[in-house]
Amino acid sequence: MEVFIAQVINGISLGSIYVLLVTGFNLLLLVAMIIHFAYPQVVVFSMYIIWLVLEVTGNNLILGALAGVTSSILLNLISAPLFQKVMEKRGEVDINSTMVMSMGIGMIITDVLSHGFNKGHPIAFPDTLAGGEAILRVGLISILPGQVSAFVVGVIAVSGFFLLLYKTRPGRAFRAIAEDPNGARLVGIPLLKTGLQSYALSGLLGGLIALLLAALIGSASSGLGEQVALKVIAVSIIAGLGNLVGGLVVGLSLGILEAIVQGYISGTWSNAIAFVIMLLVILAKPTGLFGLKL
Amino acid sequence: MASNDQTRAHADSQQALLTIENLSVSYGHVNALKHANLQVFKGEIVVLIGANGAGKTTLLETALGINTPLSGAIRFKGKPIGGAAVDRNVRAGICLVPEGRGVFASMSVLDNLLLGAHNNMKNVGKHLQRVYEWFPILEKRQDQIARTLSGGERQMLAIGRALMSSPELIMVDEPSIGLAPIVVNDIFNILRMLNQEGYTILLSEQNANKALKCAHRGYVLETGTVTLSGTAAQLLDDPGVREAYLGA
Amino acid sequence: MSLPLYYFLAITAVNILMSWALYVPYRMAHLHFLIVANMAISGYTAAYMVLSLHLPFGLALLAGFVLGAVIGFAVALFIGDAPTFAVVIVGFTFIYITRTVIENTEAVGGTMGLFGLPNIGGSPSVHRWTILAILYGLVALVGFLIHRFDHSQLGRAASAAFIDKDLTTSLGIDIKKMGILLQTFSCTLAGGCGVLYGFIYKSFHLDYFTFHVVGILMTVIFVGGYTTLWGTLLAAPVLYGVPLLFPPEVASWRIVIYGALLIIVLVLKPEGFITTRFVYGIESFLSRKRGKRTPLTKPQEDV
Repeated sequence: MEVFIAQVINGISLGSIYVLLVTGFNLLLLVAMIIHFAYPQVVVFSMYIIWLVLEVTGNNLILGALAGVTSSILLNLISAPLFQKVMEKRGEVDINSTMVMSMGIGMIITDVLSHGFNKGHPIAFPDTLAGGEAILRVGLISILPGQVSAFVVGVIAVSGFFLLLYKTRPGRAFRAIAEDPNGARLVGIPLLKTGLQSYALSGLLGGLIALLLAALIGSASSGLGEQVALKVIAVSIIAGLGNLVGGLVVGLSLGILEAIVQGYISGTWSNAIAFVIMLLVILAKPTGLFGLKL
Repeated sequence: MASNDQTRAHADSQQALLTIENLSVSYGHVNALKHANLQVFKGEIVVLIGANGAGKTTLLETALGINTPLSGAIRFKGKPIGGAAVDRNVRAGICLVPEGRGVFASMSVLDNLLLGAHNNMKNVGKHLQRVYEWFPILEKRQDQIARTLSGGERQMLAIGRALMSSPELIMVDEPSIGLAPIVVNDIFNILRMLNQEGYTILLSEQNANKALKCAHRGYVLETGTVTLSGTAAQLLDDPGVREAYLGA
Repeated sequence: MSLPLYYFLAITAVNILMSWALYVPYRMAHLHFLIVANMAISGYTAAYMVLSLHLPFGLALLAGFVLGAVIGFAVALFIGDAPTFAVVIVGFTFIYITRTVIENTEAVGGTMGLFGLPNIGGSPSVHRWTILAILYGLVALVGFLIHRFDHSQLGRAASAAFIDKDLTTSLGIDIKKMGILLQTFSCTLAGGCGVLYGFIYKSFHLDYFTFHVVGILMTVIFVGGYTTLWGTLLAAPVLYGVPLLFPPEVASWRIVIYGALLIIVLVLKPEGFITTRFVYGIESFLSRKRGKRTPLTKPQEDV
């Protein structure tokens, strides 16, 4: 039982990160109308930037955090014109092309990370980032500062995001474009400008996620992006592509499921089991459990 | 043509709010508009009559900035606006109530109205109050999802949303389509009332009879070209118009 | 034949075949990366059959094809009419799961890989010629089949499905059946390719069956052009061969180069370099030449 509770706690913090990733991914999907397959890879790239800045500045956390967020926003904004060029006609064919283009971006990021940083070795973040000792420890159950921050920041970021989406002017424009891009254009909502806002916002979210991942996992490798990307896309497909609330539920469930499996089955297999379960769900319902919002 | 001379005389005395000159628009190889000419003066209700596919929607959407014209000029208050971005034109005072009551079905009535004010958030409270005065039903339903509204209510919402951008020229694309006759009367009454409040209205309609009865002037559009224009009374009396669009 | 040339020719053939395996379902917008998993599954199975069960190569190759077909068909039953992104993710998860299973299965060498596959026909030279003959025989056969497919009713239906699935369904075309057919075909091909790939090097290592190979195949079909099979035929040798000529410092960045190339082509030439229109132009050019002269003369010589 103790193992179970401990793993549920782990799972909630991991799940919070999945939720944030799926939210950023869905935001781009709904507003910019792209399938940014490599969004998690952008996040992992920002983790590497954080690591680099921490190395150079002698573990200046504020500079590291700033660099992480900035790099992720910049990377998103740089890719925006490329995506928009491919997305010109806004048809189904074009959405698929954006996915291919995103995979191209993912290829570049992964390869740059595997040669360009730390001679290709996995990177490790200083313990200060994870916040040091456990806050609470009861038998096998321990709560680490990194886990708490992942959960708290996750909750704040997601509620902030939904608040923005439902209570502000840009959020209203986001929803309008998500529902009907042509209708939104007729009303006078600038598609390009609003699209760019969504790139910037998902970049900001990505920077936050990079920080949380660094604090929670404490290390990263060039292959991490691909693995996380797979899970994030799988989660968003299972939830129904573009379904924000579904992404919340499925993302959190995947985190908890994965952690529980990890508690009982050895490392290499636990990941595979998570994938098998996701695969079975996708095979059974390729359009998602909660319906497509696209 | 007599009616044309009349229009020109009118133009000399007063600058037109919207002028469309020699406008051609094409989608790929299809010419949707061919050298279309049209003028709307301040305070008028102008109706654009034409069958399906005559180019009415294309004309309105091009004036709004959705399509880039192939050739020709569009001027709003004397300034050329052809090919300008939609949001700029909306800010300048043009707006379009799209065909088929294009409201955002999954969003609340209030959200829909606020979307209309997207480019003009300054006096949003005041505008909202005005729209609610005209359409009390919308205030009653402001937190309801637009999907749950009736056809007539949706059309009111679409018009209300257009008013939120504090426009000078309201273009209404086929407001009567798919509505019960009694509701159509309501909609035309509303348009007439808005006109009396000082809004200029450019209307496209297949339902020529009712539209002409509430309009000042009209244009007949056939396969992308303006074939006839004149006062509403002239058009109502025109034997060709009677045969083709009034079913008489 | 020199060893580098042999490797170049053999790997190029595998790249062509695998890119075609990706090309065929993409005709109806299914980016089916299951083929990479198929390669690994069939390849390892065949190697196990030859090494541990001492079965002949021919039987192992056949088993590779059959295994690919069975897996491809079974998966296609579920995703024959799925949206593109679902097909993509199914392929990726399959690759990941296959890798994990192989890594943890001692019988096929785990992370070490499998070594010491025997030469076909005894001597290394006979082995190489046999492999090349089989590979290029397959290229000719598959190329012919795809050419026929592209010019058939089914090929036209696939093109329609690429643009609009709903509309195509309303024309009375069974999208799911078509998806099952195309996916099974490409998985069968991939299964055979997996076996042959292992026998080129006479060893198997998991490092090949990664997302890198996905990137390479994707670059080949999108740069070469996904609307006709000729683009692939041209892009596969060039994209594989040219980086071999680079100095090692540059060549180690070739995935970055592929990625950049892929992005540039998507932006500037969305349909790739060789399009149906381009091929059509060449065909009509050739037929015009032929019209003027008798078919057997060589038009180039008397210019």
